[in-house]
Amino acid sequence: MSRLLTLATALLLALPSLALASTTEVAEEEFDPAHEWEFKTWIDLPFGLDITKPVAYLILGTIVTCLLGIVLMRVKVGRDPTKRQAVGEMIYEIAQVQVAEQGLPTKAIGRWFPYVASLMLFIWTINMLGFIPLPLSDETVDVGGIELPTLAIFAATSTLSVTLALALMTWVFTHVEGIRANGVRGYFKSWIPEVPKALLPMIIPLEILGQFMRLISLSVRLYANMLAGHLLILTFIGLIFLTHWAVFPLSVVAGTAFYLFEVVIVVSIQAYIFAALSAIYIGSAIEPDH
Amino acid sequence: MLSSFFFLAAAEDGADAGKAIALALGIGLGALGAGVGLGNIFGSMIQAVARQPELRGELTGIQWLGFALVEAVVFYGLIGGLLAFVLI
Repeated sequence: MSRLLTLATALLLALPSLALASTTEVAEEEFDPAHEWEFKTWIDLPFGLDITKPVAYLILGTIVTCLLGIVLMRVKVGRDPTKRQAVGEMIYEIAQVQVAEQGLPTKAIGRWFPYVASLMLFIWTINMLGFIPLPLSDETVDVGGIELPTLAIFAATSTLSVTLALALMTWVFTHVEGIRANGVRGYFKSWIPEVPKALLPMIIPLEILGQFMRLISLSVRLYANMLAGHLLILTFIGLIFLTHWAVFPLSVVAGTAFYLFEVVIVVSIQAYIFAALSAIYIGSAIEPDH
Repeated sequence: MLSSFFFLAAAEDGADAGKAIALALGIGLGALGAGVGLGNIFGSMIQAVARQPELRGELTGIQWLGFALVEAVVFYGLIGGLLAFVLI
């Protein structure tokens, strides 16, 4: 059983390189990994609500997140817990102990735990979908006379608009909750630290700037991590087509190594960090003294 | 560094090649600082767990938080470099 699992995993891991190879072979033009971030409109809708590749990934990610929640959490509680229940409880415990309790004050956990937990699960799902080769791509390949989209890896979180929207949500909630808990005067007063009066003209603009920097750092961290991960993998595979075919052992090994690094470490860490920082920001707005 | 190799390969004239070298230098220097920071974080973590193994659970969360905060610095450099490469 475990041997079978290993084989399946190995095959799955080998898939993206194959997919990338076929993508680039089909494309006649010069290979450039940046082409992955140029989106064609798939379905034209008014008000700029067009369906493009990242939107499709987001819709898929939403569905998978909902399914994960329903499948893992809605289990019959019996005498001996099943594997499904164990996984669900593990995710719940990470969200509760590592994310919510670390950042949020006790009185706010009831209200904000659902938000940070779903944020974590959602970002994790989208990041993970980004490393599974899916037939969602702008390029097509001819299979038996039918034009099919090529398998490609792409994460919706490697576009700035997606991460900025997520960060903006946290940012708005932070200020709304801070004002609700402390009142307008009390909340904005809590931004300013205890310093000598002469320093105030320097400190106040810095603190206001710092609030906006949070928004940028929160969104750019996730965006750049996923972008750099995908660019690295694509670049390593692309070396074959740019230089000489003989570099393929090096580039496939290096590409697989980075792929494993991204899947095992970066995907989960980034989801955790985003949720934990959201919890910390919201928590520190509710109780500024902490 | 690798991306500079890639962009060098794609560069057609001298200006592009120069920009590629600048991009790689920027990312490389950024990575240098983050490397030192990451070494500090994990080194301190090892020391802390060696001294008080019972605190491992609590420290792990803080460690990964610090890891991500430090690691992100490289990527700010990368994004800045890429922006400069594309825009200028």
